[in-house]
Amino acid sequence: MTYQNYMKNTLCILMAGGKGERLYPLTKDRAKPSVRFGGIYRIVDFTLSNCLNSGIRKIYVLTQYRSVSLDRHIRMGWNMFNRELDEFIECIPPQQRNVDRWYRGTADSIYQNIHILQRERPARILVLSGDHVYRMNYNDMLAFHMEREADLTVGGVEIDRSLASAFGVIGCDGEYRITSWEEKPKDPKSVPGKPDKSFVSMGVYIFDTKALVKNVIDDAKDPASDHDFGKNVVPRMIEKHRVFVHTFRDATDPDGQYWRDIGTLDAYWEANMDLVSLEPQFNLYDPRWPIRTYQEQVPPAKTTVAIDSRGDEQGVGMVLNSILSGGCVISGGKVVRSVLSHNVRVDSFSVVEDSVLLERVRVGPHARIRKAVIDQDVTVPEGFTVGYDRDQDKRRFTISPGGVAIVPRGIILEQS
Amino acid sequence: MKRILVVDDEIHICELYRSELEDEGYAVACANSGVQALDEIERDPPDLIVLDIQMPGMDGVEILERILGRDKGIPVILNTAYSHYRNDFATWGADAYVVKSSDTSKLKAEVKRLLGE
Repeated sequence: MTYQNYMKNTLCILMAGGKGERLYPLTKDRAKPSVRFGGIYRIVDFTLSNCLNSGIRKIYVLTQYRSVSLDRHIRMGWNMFNRELDEFIECIPPQQRNVDRWYRGTADSIYQNIHILQRERPARILVLSGDHVYRMNYNDMLAFHMEREADLTVGGVEIDRSLASAFGVIGCDGEYRITSWEEKPKDPKSVPGKPDKSFVSMGVYIFDTKALVKNVIDDAKDPASDHDFGKNVVPRMIEKHRVFVHTFRDATDPDGQYWRDIGTLDAYWEANMDLVSLEPQFNLYDPRWPIRTYQEQVPPAKTTVAIDSRGDEQGVGMVLNSILSGGCVISGGKVVRSVLSHNVRVDSFSVVEDSVLLERVRVGPHARIRKAVIDQDVTVPEGFTVGYDRDQDKRRFTISPGGVAIVPRGIILEQS
Repeated sequence: MKRILVVDDEIHICELYRSELEDEGYAVACANSGVQALDEIERDPPDLIVLDIQMPGMDGVEILERILGRDKGIPVILNTAYSHYRNDFATWGADAYVVKSSDTSKLKAEVKRLLGE
């Protein structure tokens, strides 16, 4: 049997139950995996595309908070698996079968769903998070896991040791067996043979099913636990089980290690800006690793010269170094280094720079927007500015530590 | 005195365990259904539970899951005549697994172990 066949029989559990508080207000009405990214995608699409491209055909998505939008997205965009071939993708909200509570943490979300593991009885389980952007072939990790006869393999991304103190850092021996696991250590351990690099956990795990079940049950019974994989379950498993770290490589670029936790507003903005940089670290355009999503039917994007009632030109629609989704009309406005979701309209003499505009945002004439994220359906009135007057922005919007103004959904903007 | 709750729908099993465990110096309460057992656990939490699996209505597996869901930290011994239940992940939350027998020495040994005696 090839690893591809093993993967077909591996069950994937995608944890999408976090609140995503640090992305607020973008997570006010939707779960973090459902937040739009890169114009047409939602964050969860990247992990699901990795699954699809890796040959995974059995996926449970564990949802919890504000799951309507995520549930709809998966139903409309990912309903392509064939039950008759024993393939599926299903969203499972908390069942509260035998408990009167929500998920206490990532490990508890598996514990509360042990009955689905019992129903499938797979040999191995791939546990993923719906919060990350990366391109990974999970078959490489599965092969590593099986060769090592591991009970658990954790995906690790190598980052500069100087930056590692902000993460959960994995220490390992020369065989990549994990020997330590420290949350935000002052003196991060280095990767064997690479003194300047440290392994950081990607939130990608392959478990032997029995080891997973045993350990989440033990964790559920431990009153001192936070019931989190990274904090509790994995560190405890290191002592008694064969736990290894697998070095992450980009699915089609052996030198690439792009992996981002879109955990904060600044990380969200920066990862979007990377896509419109001259040489993006993350490649959306590689046909060998397509990223799938759901898109509604919209007309093509266009730019126009705006003409007034007398027939005079009112500005040339111009788009530079930007992502423009379907249905956008740049009517005499200028868009630079920005990411526009579908059906955005930018009117004459307005300027949008270094910004992320979600679907159906309308930018009125002479408006100016800089370094902002504007949530869906917001209308920016004529002459309005965002990102130019810091004090005024602070009174109206959330401003990220990095200085990005977040204009929330549902806000009515008026000139003061 | 440590208190043990025996949950079994067969009254003669309850009585057998009661007499055997009382001889060992434990106080023993019996429940003949899941509902009764969960009420008893809520009303007066025992130090240990001996739980039958095959019962009418709520079975032992479901009772076990509900006991664990209440986070009381009470050890549970699953006690059944059928060994195939061990393949059900939902039973893995039990602290011990003893096959039913008229010889109660294995049961008593597990009770002692779990009560740290």
